[in-house]
Amino acid sequence: MKRRAFIERSAAIALLAFLRPADLMATWNGRNFQQVPLEKALIDVLGTKDLVRTGRITVTAPAAASDATSVPVEINSDIKGDAIYLFVEKNVTPLVFSCSLHEGALAYFSLNVKMKESSLLYAVVRENGKYYMASAQVNVSAEAC
Amino acid sequence: MRVLATESAGVVSVKVIIPHPNESGTRKDDSGNVVPAHFVKEGSVMLNGRPLLDLQLGPSVSKDPFIQFRFAGKKGDKLALRFIDSSNQEFSSEVSVV
Repeated sequence: MKRRAFIERSAAIALLAFLRPADLMATWNGRNFQQVPLEKALIDVLGTKDLVRTGRITVTAPAAASDATSVPVEINSDIKGDAIYLFVEKNVTPLVFSCSLHEGALAYFSLNVKMKESSLLYAVVRENGKYYMASAQVNVSAEAC
Repeated sequence: MRVLATESAGVVSVKVIIPHPNESGTRKDDSGNVVPAHFVKEGSVMLNGRPLLDLQLGPSVSKDPFIQFRFAGKKGDKLALRFIDSSNQEFSSEVSVV
């Protein structure tokens, strides 16, 4: 082995040895959570804004939400996806969450979301590098965020 | 942090509640001052010692995040959950599927 390659490899191994489990968590990517318009957020997070609309994803959310600080959103799909995302178009930070799905995990996710104003929600599931999408409109009667 | 994992017909449904102010950093208090951002931003779930989910959460998740997810599993499966907020405070829990 060349000396430089050996040193680089040794350094990498030494660094790994010092990583605590906390450091091994997927590092939070601040770039994904910028205050940008939806299109820019899609490109930042997914690398594309070309999403395939599908009936295989269901987004369940109230059509009219009285409490914008806590809007229940449920995403369900039979797609064998490896990642799932939720975007709220009109929120200051459109991406709500991203979640990678490992072996056994189903393309289902539910959580409560703050909404700045009435908006479309976009649920996205990734399968084989392609992004599938379904949307739902939620009208809110009071502001949050 | 409270976690409940129940199995039915081969599908485990998991409910997670993390008591947390989850401040977005854009909300103003009663005297008009911006409340600093303080929210749960990362999570990981291990199933029987193997990675199941890796989560990144933004500031628009509600106060006291209530998260639900599902996986193909059985009673007795062991789940280990860890979350970290924007102040690097850690929340963790280990549960068995019932």
